[in-house]
Amino acid sequence: MWRVGIDVGGTFTDLFAWDEQDNRQISSKVLTTKPDRSLGVMNALKEAGIEARDVSHLMHGTTTATNALITRDYPEVAMVTTNGFRDTIEIGRQHRAELYNPYQTKPRPIIKRRYRYTLDERIDVNGEVVRPLDLQAARNIAKKIRIHDIQSVAVAFINSYVSARHEDEMRDIILEENPDIYCITSSDTRALFREHGRFVTAAIRAATMPVMEQYFGHLEASLESAGFHGRLMILKSSGGITGVGYAKHHPEELIESGPAGGVAYAAYLNEVKGDCPNIIHTDVGGTSFDVSIVENGKGLVTRDHEIEWEVPVIVPMLDIHSVGAGGGSIGWVDDGNSLRVGPQSAGSSPGPASYGLGGTEPTITDANLLLGRIEPSLGGKMMLDVAAAEAAVSKVGERVGLSTIEAADGMVRIGCENMAQAVKKVITGRGRDPRDFILASFGGAGAMHAFLIAESINVPKIIVPAAAGVASAFGATAMDLRHDLEAFYFSAVVDANVGLMNELYDKLESDALALLAADGVSEADVIVTRTAQMRYVGQSYEVETPVPEGVLDENDLSELSQRFHQCHKQEFGVSSDDFEPSIVVLGLAAVGKTKRPPAVMVAASGNDAKKGVRDVYFDRQWHESVVYDGHALGPQSEVVGPCIVEFEHACAVIPPYAVGTVDDYGNMIIELNKVAK
Amino acid sequence: MDTKVNSNGLIENGTKVDPVTFEVLRSIFEYAADRMSSVLQRASFSPILADMIDFSNAIYDADAQLLSQAANCPIHLAAMKFSAEAIIEKYAVSTMKPEDVYVVNDPYKGGTHINDMTFMMPIFFESEILGFAVSRGHWMDLGGGAAGGQAMDGTHIAGEGLRLPPLKIFSEGEVNQDILDIILNNTRTPHFVKGDLQAHVGCLKAADTEMKAAAERYGLNVLTIAMKQLQEYTESIVRKGILEIPDGEYFAEEYADTDGHSSEPIPIKVRLVIDGSNINVDFSETGPVVKGAINSPYANTASAALYSLQFFLAPHAPQNQGMFNPITITLPDNCWLNAKWPAPTIGCTTLTSAKITSAVWQALAQACPDKITGSTNADCNWFVSSVVAPDGTASVFSDLPAGGWGGTPYSDGMNVTEDPLGNCMNMPAESAELLFPIAYEAFELRPDSGGAGQHRGGLGAVFKVRYLSDGLLSMESARTLQGSPGVNGGGFSDVQRQTKIYSDGKSEVIGGLDGKGGWKSPLLANVPFSNGETFMFESTGGGGWGAALDRDENAVLDDVLDEYITFDTAWNTYGVVIDKDAMTVDSQATAARRSEMRAS
Repeated sequence: MWRVGIDVGGTFTDLFAWDEQDNRQISSKVLTTKPDRSLGVMNALKEAGIEARDVSHLMHGTTTATNALITRDYPEVAMVTTNGFRDTIEIGRQHRAELYNPYQTKPRPIIKRRYRYTLDERIDVNGEVVRPLDLQAARNIAKKIRIHDIQSVAVAFINSYVSARHEDEMRDIILEENPDIYCITSSDTRALFREHGRFVTAAIRAATMPVMEQYFGHLEASLESAGFHGRLMILKSSGGITGVGYAKHHPEELIESGPAGGVAYAAYLNEVKGDCPNIIHTDVGGTSFDVSIVENGKGLVTRDHEIEWEVPVIVPMLDIHSVGAGGGSIGWVDDGNSLRVGPQSAGSSPGPASYGLGGTEPTITDANLLLGRIEPSLGGKMMLDVAAAEAAVSKVGERVGLSTIEAADGMVRIGCENMAQAVKKVITGRGRDPRDFILASFGGAGAMHAFLIAESINVPKIIVPAAAGVASAFGATAMDLRHDLEAFYFSAVVDANVGLMNELYDKLESDALALLAADGVSEADVIVTRTAQMRYVGQSYEVETPVPEGVLDENDLSELSQRFHQCHKQEFGVSSDDFEPSIVVLGLAAVGKTKRPPAVMVAASGNDAKKGVRDVYFDRQWHESVVYDGHALGPQSEVVGPCIVEFEHACAVIPPYAVGTVDDYGNMIIELNKVAK
Repeated sequence: MDTKVNSNGLIENGTKVDPVTFEVLRSIFEYAADRMSSVLQRASFSPILADMIDFSNAIYDADAQLLSQAANCPIHLAAMKFSAEAIIEKYAVSTMKPEDVYVVNDPYKGGTHINDMTFMMPIFFESEILGFAVSRGHWMDLGGGAAGGQAMDGTHIAGEGLRLPPLKIFSEGEVNQDILDIILNNTRTPHFVKGDLQAHVGCLKAADTEMKAAAERYGLNVLTIAMKQLQEYTESIVRKGILEIPDGEYFAEEYADTDGHSSEPIPIKVRLVIDGSNINVDFSETGPVVKGAINSPYANTASAALYSLQFFLAPHAPQNQGMFNPITITLPDNCWLNAKWPAPTIGCTTLTSAKITSAVWQALAQACPDKITGSTNADCNWFVSSVVAPDGTASVFSDLPAGGWGGTPYSDGMNVTEDPLGNCMNMPAESAELLFPIAYEAFELRPDSGGAGQHRGGLGAVFKVRYLSDGLLSMESARTLQGSPGVNGGGFSDVQRQTKIYSDGKSEVIGGLDGKGGWKSPLLANVPFSNGETFMFESTGGGGWGAALDRDENAVLDDVLDEYITFDTAWNTYGVVIDKDAMTVDSQATAARRSEMRAS
């Protein structure tokens, strides 16, 4: 039986699978189908020659929810909220994205104002009812929802994180009047304070639930009719997988479903190799660059993700930062006569100038071609037009007084610097030292740029994973089942009621175990880790702090305070015993371990590894560089820069003074400045 | 051009950095300032810093010229330079040591209002100063005659709180306990002081770390050259922007409704003189110092004029000293925009600067009406209130409910967005209720509050907070007599108003027009509120852009459906005829009604 990972991206649907009996591995790549992306999933299986009935587990990453949100393409959705808070999701936090742009606008609210209804009710900060739910008004709203043919409703009341009572009453009334629609409450998404994040998260769940229910429904039907009776599992933004049933009802947890697979792959590399616990995961595509970090084998999580300006999702998610920088990024000259790169991209249409598809603007890809880092026939896939690339790049070069080759070199360096800044946001931005990390480079264009990013942020070592071309699909098969649950508990540590904390953790644990049991995980196979969101009394932002194991006692509380001081110091560079630590939220992650794809030792393909020699531009001069066939390099073979190593879906550029080594599993490790200058 | 690149990133005989190194360093400088803000926000203790981000951070070169800044409060950013200069004037650069931190909040020494504390740390690299990290944050309370120093009825700056001259608060990382003790003794919120101080230090250190790393990689020489080059680069972009404005003199007026004592509005008169790639902002026609607390000292006025212009000259250019070089300011000696000791100034940053912006934008609109947006609600609507927690401890609670921005040549204005002077956030209701004995009752859009226009002004808000203890509320506000002006034929927005709602539901206007022919000053000082009473503030929207009768009729219908405007406004102001049952536009009837309205 096969364990299959499938990642549906914007352009391609990638598949990676391994056979549980004989460890055979296979991958495939097909075009993504729109609007029904489930067809592409079936195509990928067919392309790989895998019968649906032979699949035991299908692990699936999808951007369907994210696409629906960004395009606001979902059935009519309504919100019911407390009088006075109708516009919380529209006003946001009243600040702006660009300091001085007088023409800027804000993103459209997830739910139109005309469908945001309010009524009188009030629960106070202690959970006491100050004013009861206005039942007559509630009934009237439920009827209006029917008249407007609304498919989905979010109920979001002030202070519902302390008591869900009114939200639940309101939901019941809506469902009585409208038994066939979706109705969800904000307290059921995450019962956490600060209304804006909770309300928006509820709106996102309500808006995307009908979309995801339909999408997963189609996929299940297609798989079933093809004979599939395995488990369909979905990748979550938190870096774990869950059953499709849970995913349908928690679509807000699928926002980074695709990239999460790549992060899992990075974590897997350490499991196999054991020598890279801290990895910077980077993925360079045509238009965007994604970065996140894996620390001690775990993806770093954030609770501050915004899908657009002031559109936050408050569920724990891998801290994946994206910027508009990739192979298609365009070089240009600004009003101050400075050379710039991106964020505009030529994309796949019109594409880089050298593709001859109508593009005339110089892109990073064109620049790489001129520098000799890309081979003009793209391994026989298409013939690139070097003259067109030259014409395009020289145009910007002349304007800033650089020769064509210098301009090409400059464009690539500037593009990589933009990527390096994004890396810094997640590394030094969270108080980490880049020198403790290894840079892992995924995506077709990743390994070409990795050395420049690594140099800029001072990381000495790069890994180009064997399955870099289908990274997310591979990672999907290496992911654990996972649920992250949280409970609001607001108390200074000195005043904390350790008995109550134990009760809350017990409740979180039993809820998490029940969710995992539904996905077929037995209690014995579950690993639970506990955290607390903590701050100093008086602060407004929390730092995640690991909580001691087992039943907590008073000693554990002082240990918790010490750990918090350390975490605060790490993130912000300062900490002090002058201040009282306090707890805001208790968190628990429950992980059900799954089988991993076996680490397959690679053998050289038997072909001559040395394909040829060409001139490549490094450090402002041309270097004669050997071109290698990456698949012909056997384990432990070493190549010395300057050289180029070509793989089926990726191309590694190894600069002078660097050395590349293939490990036993086909990963390429590049060490910068290995050879004395 | 000589493009020979030598190995260290320099060209033209070592006088310039190459274009690529330039771009790389530009990113690094920007990142360093952003990192400062992210640390200060997350590590600070006062809600006004952590929740509302009323602070700004910037990096200056070794000559104290602005190098880069984070996207925080424009009014702080252009004024901080004057504070840095005041510190350097008192403490010679040659005496500075690593991890020294200086503080100043004197409005007459480059400060904005007295609550804005400015911290500065020299950044050393191999025993040389490569620049300065500067962080300015609004501290919740530094004493004075009302909570938050907001003595809006005051007539002397001594009533606004503790005024610190430039002082060295840390010597090589060691805090000066004497200074700290003085601050702790002169605030209603001593519990915020040490935490906020720690956060400012963390933020300065973050800049130090990033800038040192850049110097290690590129060398001090390359960095220094790049800094100057970056400022020249921005200046060249700004000058291009000015060249696009037709030469000439453009005059406009704006008003503060009152200084708290006057019964007449107090005008700001500005004359923009555009000459090639230079601008002179001339306030010569503006009147003398006023009695009340809206006077603006030089740094605050200059900062307001500079950031206001920036919106229409080069909004995307890197933000540094180069933005300011083409602009000169003319201020008469006795002028309420050039206030000197002992004039009270607490409203200068939140109120007066916004009025300067509105005046400058209206003057620009005469030069290029197709490019300028309608005025914003032009206020911070900053209020501060004392409250008493159930356990008897007194605290200070504050918020800044925003209004709308003006319609633009391309779109409707933004609803409820912090005025150009700042970029602060509001206080989340659920955070505030956890910390203070208050209950938020509303923060929602106020229909019909935006100026009418082809592109409508963004809407203001209705803000309500109920007291669960007794308290004294102070607030500065304006636009209570006339709303935000539109441009290019766009209309005025509604007026702002402050109201007290009693426990029995009866209400009383306490600032602005009362609807019965009366008007009260919107500068509130120590207004008592009792447990159960509610403070309501209605902010206004932005002015409109273009004529209301040119607005797309379907956009008007959408506005009615979403209740951004009322049905009556669609009919009366926009001339759009909507079938009330089907909720569709009658295009024919609309065309007829509009041509009739145009004719009359």
